[in-house]
Amino acid sequence: MKKFSGVAFAIVVSLIATAHVGSPNVLFDGLAGPYPVRVIVRPPDVVPGLAEVIVRVDAADVNHVTLRPVFWRAGASGAPKGDEASRVPGKDRFYTGQLWLMSRGSYSVYVTLAGARGSGTAIVPVNAFATGRLDLPPALGAILVVLGVLLVAGLLTIVRAAAGDSLVPAGQPVDAPARRRANRVMVIAAPVIALAVLGGAKWWNAVDGDYRRTMYRAPSAVPRISVDSTHRTLRLIVRDTAQFRAIFSPVVPDHGKMMHLFLVSTSGMQVFSHLHPIEADSLQFVTELPWAPAGRYLLFGDITLENGMSLTVSDRVDIPAAPGSVVQSDPDDSWDRTVSVTPLAPGAVRSLADGYTLAWAGIATPIESGQPTDLRFVVRDSAGSPVPLHPYLGMAGHAVVLRHDASVFVHLHPMGTIASVSQQVFALRDRGDTTAGGRLQVNDLRPDSMPAMSMSGELSFPYEFPKPGRYRLWVQVKPSQHVLTGVFDVDVR
Amino acid sequence: MAIAIEPGRTFAAATSSAVVAKSSTLWHAYTAVFAAACVMVGVYWDISWHMSIGRDTFWTPAHLVIQAGGLIAGLSSGYVALKTTFRGSEVERNSTVAFWGFRAPLGAWICIWGCGAMLTSAPFDNWWHNAYGLDVKIVSPPHVILALGIYAIVVGALLLTLAEQNRAEGESRRKIALALAATGGLFIMNFALFLTEFSERRGMHSAFFYGVIAATFPFGLTSMARAIKLRWPATAAATSYTLVMIALMWIVEAFPATPKLGPIYQHITHMVALSFPLLIIAPAVAIDVVLRRAGDRYGVTALAPVIALVFLLAFVAVQWPFATFLVYSPIAQGPIFNADNFVYWMNPTYEALTRRFDPTPPNAWPLAARLAVVFAVATGSSFLGLRWGQWMTRVRR
Repeated sequence: MKKFSGVAFAIVVSLIATAHVGSPNVLFDGLAGPYPVRVIVRPPDVVPGLAEVIVRVDAADVNHVTLRPVFWRAGASGAPKGDEASRVPGKDRFYTGQLWLMSRGSYSVYVTLAGARGSGTAIVPVNAFATGRLDLPPALGAILVVLGVLLVAGLLTIVRAAAGDSLVPAGQPVDAPARRRANRVMVIAAPVIALAVLGGAKWWNAVDGDYRRTMYRAPSAVPRISVDSTHRTLRLIVRDTAQFRAIFSPVVPDHGKMMHLFLVSTSGMQVFSHLHPIEADSLQFVTELPWAPAGRYLLFGDITLENGMSLTVSDRVDIPAAPGSVVQSDPDDSWDRTVSVTPLAPGAVRSLADGYTLAWAGIATPIESGQPTDLRFVVRDSAGSPVPLHPYLGMAGHAVVLRHDASVFVHLHPMGTIASVSQQVFALRDRGDTTAGGRLQVNDLRPDSMPAMSMSGELSFPYEFPKPGRYRLWVQVKPSQHVLTGVFDVDVR
Repeated sequence: MAIAIEPGRTFAAATSSAVVAKSSTLWHAYTAVFAAACVMVGVYWDISWHMSIGRDTFWTPAHLVIQAGGLIAGLSSGYVALKTTFRGSEVERNSTVAFWGFRAPLGAWICIWGCGAMLTSAPFDNWWHNAYGLDVKIVSPPHVILALGIYAIVVGALLLTLAEQNRAEGESRRKIALALAATGGLFIMNFALFLTEFSERRGMHSAFFYGVIAATFPFGLTSMARAIKLRWPATAAATSYTLVMIALMWIVEAFPATPKLGPIYQHITHMVALSFPLLIIAPAVAIDVVLRRAGDRYGVTALAPVIALVFLLAFVAVQWPFATFLVYSPIAQGPIFNADNFVYWMNPTYEALTRRFDPTPPNAWPLAARLAVVFAVATGSSFLGLRWGQWMTRVRR
């Protein structure tokens, strides 16, 4: 535990974030009409760019899978005709395809399955941002330099010939004055061409600089804590960065909450809080801090915008000691203090309060990064039987994944990495309840977005770890009236 | 055909030997013209493809036509260079220019250079797309290298034809001059295509638009006026540009197409063609008249401002009211004048902007200053065009 010292977090929080932190790939488990489906979208690092889409159809009677990129501003009517996804050779129920994401902003991939039971569409929201910058490979750079030198040398030779040989009538010898004139012109042309090449290099640098400036930057989150005799209040002011504007539209509630705020103590990640600030003013979020002991915390706030875009803001915050008893500001707030962590391995069982246990039911082999995996758990009562779950914020369970260096943060549900409200705003957009510049009818949003979700006590969170390393995993379930949190560590290869 | 030049032969005799040799090089000039036409048609088609369909690969028909043009020009020129260097007669070798130990006509070397620039731009452009996104802008560093290659192919074809014209006499010279005028049209078209982003209809009542035009078209028209040996040389080249642009516009927009990329704000059903060509025929006629009247009495320095003034007056006189027609008249909307050629990604806000002219920016220079700048630019462009045209009249190899 001690090795997860606060030092590791120093490198943390300004890392690239989109819907999550350091975890751009999107996984969705759910239904497309009558057909169960898993969709993985790997968005491009640059936009316009190609997103890779993988579809696993969990039904035998599906014949066709089509993929459409829908930009929120244009709606489905402004999307190109769908592309047929191709079957993955040797894997009958896997389909794959590539989609161009041409504009920066909020997209959804519409995955339509057609088969014996008709057709159905799953909406998978994706943020399209420039998040990476491609270096010029040295080999390509060398090739371009050689070709460039040849072109410049060729151009100088052409200039010399144009001023010399070419003006001499056919058959006449090229005399010395003509040669001197040609050389003189070439000498004059050389610096002009050199200036043009330098200008081109400067232009390239300018384009690169513009690109860097417009790369995605998570909005900033400025925390301020005020304390009096009965309150320890966190006010979080969210702002776009000076050079990148991500927040184009108002925040909408996801699972009925304007923000899902997670606090993790930097000293060994022992304290974990899942809070729900209210939006006291535009982009100003306020919550009480009831449980957290004084200390330094990492802060991750998930918000979803009216245009379907999900963003995570993050920062560090030093929380002072509570003056007395502070009452939680939202009944769905929850927390956990970890004195020991359960390694995620075959047979791992985590004891929860009230006699419940949370048992790992996933694969026996080590989890590999870059591969979709199911984080499966079973909630059992004291008699060892799986127990039905109460919905917690509309879901059978919530999971939070944090890499030990805090370079990866993601908030998962059994439906995957997406915010369910993003799906809803796209569906409402298509129904005509919103316009490109208009307002979403927020009353139409359902906090309980997955009525068909299994609440049997067997949970599965689909996820694709972005890189190897040790991750902390908090799994939150509600087998009784209380939210219980299991804490695991997982080593990803 | 090999005729040895004997020491002491007269200039006229040597020239006439070269004329005898022309039949062996004319095919190459016409091949280069064909290649240049392929490239320009391909570029037009490709721009239209991006405006209409969006998604492309290396193997789209438009790309193939461009690449075919580049290869035809490069390979035919390479063949001529190798043949002239290793198998050519002394007369043939002495009708060409030297390049790193090889020999070929100047135009052939420019075509080969253009082919090389086009090939260089391919991996660069591919990386650029991966690094900064697909064709966010037409004018990007790799596209400039591609455009330089394309320019070079057209200029190479122009020079090969020009050298043939300058060597020929009588009716054959007239025929070659007509081919040269057609190539000159492609040369001017090059400017027009590259300036597409800077010559939108809604800007046609602004000093910026006329400044951009002044920087390029006087150069193209005056150089053609000097180089082409016809009675109305600039007019012939401008007519070639206009006919090619109109023909391509009417042909391209006849084909059905729907976008394969989104977001789609314009639900188009056919290929979107480039806008109606600029009315440069009028200033071309004016330039021809001025240069014919001037004869050889005036130098380039004296002529350049006169041509700049004439160009601007004639161009503004026709383009300004024509722009008003294009922007405001319902007759302009449709296949003939194509003033509703909205790309699929044009959102309604931007479309509304195309229905009026851009207002003058509040911080713009005074009108007199802007006009002075446009005139100065046109003068510089005319000066360079006249000088380049003079040089072209002297090209023999």
